[in-house]
Amino acid sequence: MKIICAVAGVAVKELYRRKEFYVLLIVTILICLVMGSVNVFNDDKVIRYLKELALLLIWISTLIIAITTTARQIPAEKEQRTLLPLLAKPLSRNQLIVGKFLGCWVACGLALICFYIFFGALAASREHAWPLLNYFQAALLHWFALGVVVALALFGSLVFAAPSSNSTICFVIVATILCLGRYLDAVALAQSEPIRSIFYAIYFAIPHLEIPFGMRNLIVHNWPLVEWKFIALDAIYLLAYIALFLAAACLVFRRKPVN
Amino acid sequence: MNTILKTEKLRVEFKTRQLGKATTKVALNGLDLAVQAGEVFGFLGPNGAGKTTTMNVLLGFIQPTGGAAYLFGIDVRQPIARQRIGYLPELTYYYKFLNAEEILRFYAKIFKIPNAEAEKRIDFVLKLVELQHARKRLIKTYSKGMQQRVGLAQALINNPDLLILDEPTSGLDPVGRMKVRSIIQRLKNEGRTVFFSSHEMGEVETICDRIAIINNGELKAVGSVSEISSQHGANLEKAFLDIIGFQPEAVA
Amino acid sequence: MFGFPPQTRELKMISPRKISLLFIALLIFCFGLAANLLPQFWRIENENHQSQNFFALLLGDSSRIFANSFATKADAYYHSGYYPTIFDNNSAFKTLHMAEDTGAVASHNSGEEENFMGPPRDWIDAFGRHFIPNRHTHLDEGGPTDDLSKSDEVREILPWLKLSAELDPHNIQTILATSFFLRTKMNKTSDAEEVLREALRSNPDNSQLLFELGRIRFENYADTFRARNIWEAALRELQKQIVQKKEDKLDFDDRFMFEQLETKLAQLEEYAHNNGPAISHWEAVKIVSPTPEEIQKHIDELKQKTAATNSPAQ
Ligand SMILES: Nc1ncnc2c1ncn2[C@@H]1O[C@H](COP(=O)(O)OP(=O)(O)OP(=O)(O)O)[C@@H](O)[C@H]1O
Ligand SMILES: [Mg+2]
Repeated sequence: MKIICAVAGVAVKELYRRKEFYVLLIVTILICLVMGSVNVFNDDKVIRYLKELALLLIWISTLIIAITTTARQIPAEKEQRTLLPLLAKPLSRNQLIVGKFLGCWVACGLALICFYIFFGALAASREHAWPLLNYFQAALLHWFALGVVVALALFGSLVFAAPSSNSTICFVIVATILCLGRYLDAVALAQSEPIRSIFYAIYFAIPHLEIPFGMRNLIVHNWPLVEWKFIALDAIYLLAYIALFLAAACLVFRRKPVN
Repeated sequence: MNTILKTEKLRVEFKTRQLGKATTKVALNGLDLAVQAGEVFGFLGPNGAGKTTTMNVLLGFIQPTGGAAYLFGIDVRQPIARQRIGYLPELTYYYKFLNAEEILRFYAKIFKIPNAEAEKRIDFVLKLVELQHARKRLIKTYSKGMQQRVGLAQALINNPDLLILDEPTSGLDPVGRMKVRSIIQRLKNEGRTVFFSSHEMGEVETICDRIAIINNGELKAVGSVSEISSQHGANLEKAFLDIIGFQPEAVA
Repeated sequence: MFGFPPQTRELKMISPRKISLLFIALLIFCFGLAANLLPQFWRIENENHQSQNFFALLLGDSSRIFANSFATKADAYYHSGYYPTIFDNNSAFKTLHMAEDTGAVASHNSGEEENFMGPPRDWIDAFGRHFIPNRHTHLDEGGPTDDLSKSDEVREILPWLKLSAELDPHNIQTILATSFFLRTKMNKTSDAEEVLREALRSNPDNSQLLFELGRIRFENYADTFRARNIWEAALRELQKQIVQKKEDKLDFDDRFMFEQLETKLAQLEEYAHNNGPAISHWEAVKIVSPTPEEIQKHIDELKQKTAATNSPAQ
């Protein structure tokens, strides 16, 4: 465990020593402030459009952070040849994978906290309310969804040689799931047979990240809390996918030559 | 004497594609090596002989096609076999966003060295490689020689019983080479085992107890420096060229 | 020994990263400024042809598509996010609900808002519905909290309405909704009137806009004189339109507008104690109303009242 934490620690350190995170945070804040200064019939209480925009930007930013930081972890170690001295230490490859995953996931979590604090402040500036539990629910599932994305990108980084192609593929997959995941079964129904079965198979195989993504609407429009048991179930559901992708990554990496 | 590093009939094949045709390149062919505790063992061979490949197998980076390798009597496929070794790769760079101290602390954690002891160890190795003045600077600001010394420091962080060094002096200036040599000498005096590859015959002659010479992945000679050079009736360089079958006349 | 010479270190102070960061900040600032100021500049420069605003110019003909999607967005906000997508059955959302509430737009909806999603298609779909807005509510009725004191939260639809109206000044439903909610929920009567007058400049003969404008004059200022003029003008425009269409039957929307206008005029005349004109307007309402008996009853009551007030004078 100490080994895994050490590996994770380096990944976290990398996130905050690199500038992407700050740039994305600042860009998000600036865009929100600019949009917030738009005059809507001299009404200074209008906020939901801003909340929606902020949450969308936060999702995009955190996805960028999750995918780009994860996708380059192992390729960068290979390219800069830091993988050799590392693997020459008494650490198994599975520990390396799990450590890298945890590091990126925790790093995303830290970024997420910063983003959601900004979001809370933005909303409170006009609504004068802190529905902390609602934010917590959304942020929690957001974090688990990012976990799936991180695991996917980590797996991808072992399969595809170039980090850029891996990032692109991950982005396309995640974006498709977020936009279409919920309706894939409805789309399948409209198809003729061989294609329909394929669509159904995809529908049941993909991790349904659009569920946490859709919770944005609940926060934007001040809906009441989701029942905690559903939150727990969804977290478990996402954890299962994390485990699946990690296991696949370990399997791929286990016998891969690293010279 | 106990054997610390052992390979048995080690065979490594690389599958490569040449002009779209799959070919198999035999990098190691039935290599048998045995390094005893406390000796400095030189591993010689021309470029492409298979020295780095042997080390890659020993460290578990690649899986041998056949045969087996052991460190401290443990199969190299188990991570614990690497607990008491230090390794310096042929060419490396270290995490650019960390400084020397942080890298060493990170590696110490992987060896599960307790924090207080780790700090002492970090001070010691940094002093040994003369990097104390730059310990808080990011690695990306280091020169090549400094990076090589960070490499040596990280190889020593766990106070290893066996050091595996892949061309430790390549790319260093004469002063740097001298320093590396004296560090190896010092480790030997402390009773540690050093297994290193080199192209520098002079270096090998001065510090090695025993040497092995390989060519095309096959072991050609093994023994003490004086044994090998006397068998071929000349100095080590001449013997080396002789063993790998190099004819100076052919060039002329 | 290996340190950088001092000049190099000095140069490194302004790293390219910092410069790019500064550049991005500057870019955003400029864009923000442009987005805020340019529309106003355009308005000043193009005082005479007001349909040429900044966004419309930027987007060209596709601005109408954007305008429609923003209007839909506003309606989705009106339902606190409970809204069909292109994959759902949206027959219950054909007419924007927010526009429907203004009383100037006829409904084409099927009335089955509660089950546009249909029964769950599978367990993932069923599970996912716990994490999305899943109840039909209207923002001006308190939204998901059903708390009527929060009915002013309907303001949240305004940014989208404004955007939509700016992109397509001929989108009457959006303008009606904007004006209606500004007037009835936000107490911004003058803003509401301004929106209508602005829209009338691009659509001078639109009876729906005139209808709404008349309501402001009548309901908020009790200005019966102007309200009557405006509504009568609306009626004339409506009749002109109907004649132009040359259809033997009144279409649904025109019939609805006609009924609304005549009803309002009748109410206005009643308010002004002009029972004679009131009765003739009610007679007109009776022709198109789905419940002519009730109208007839009201007319009879009015006639009695007129008789009662007239007889003592005799
Ligand atoms: N990943 C690989 N794929 C294919 N062939 C490889 C691979 N790695 C090494 N080889 C081949 O195996 C042989 C041995 O290479 P190795 O790196 O062990 O040589 P070396 O003795 O370390 O040489 P040098 O002194 O140049 O470092 C070479 O012919 C090399 O081309
Ligand atoms: Mg080599």
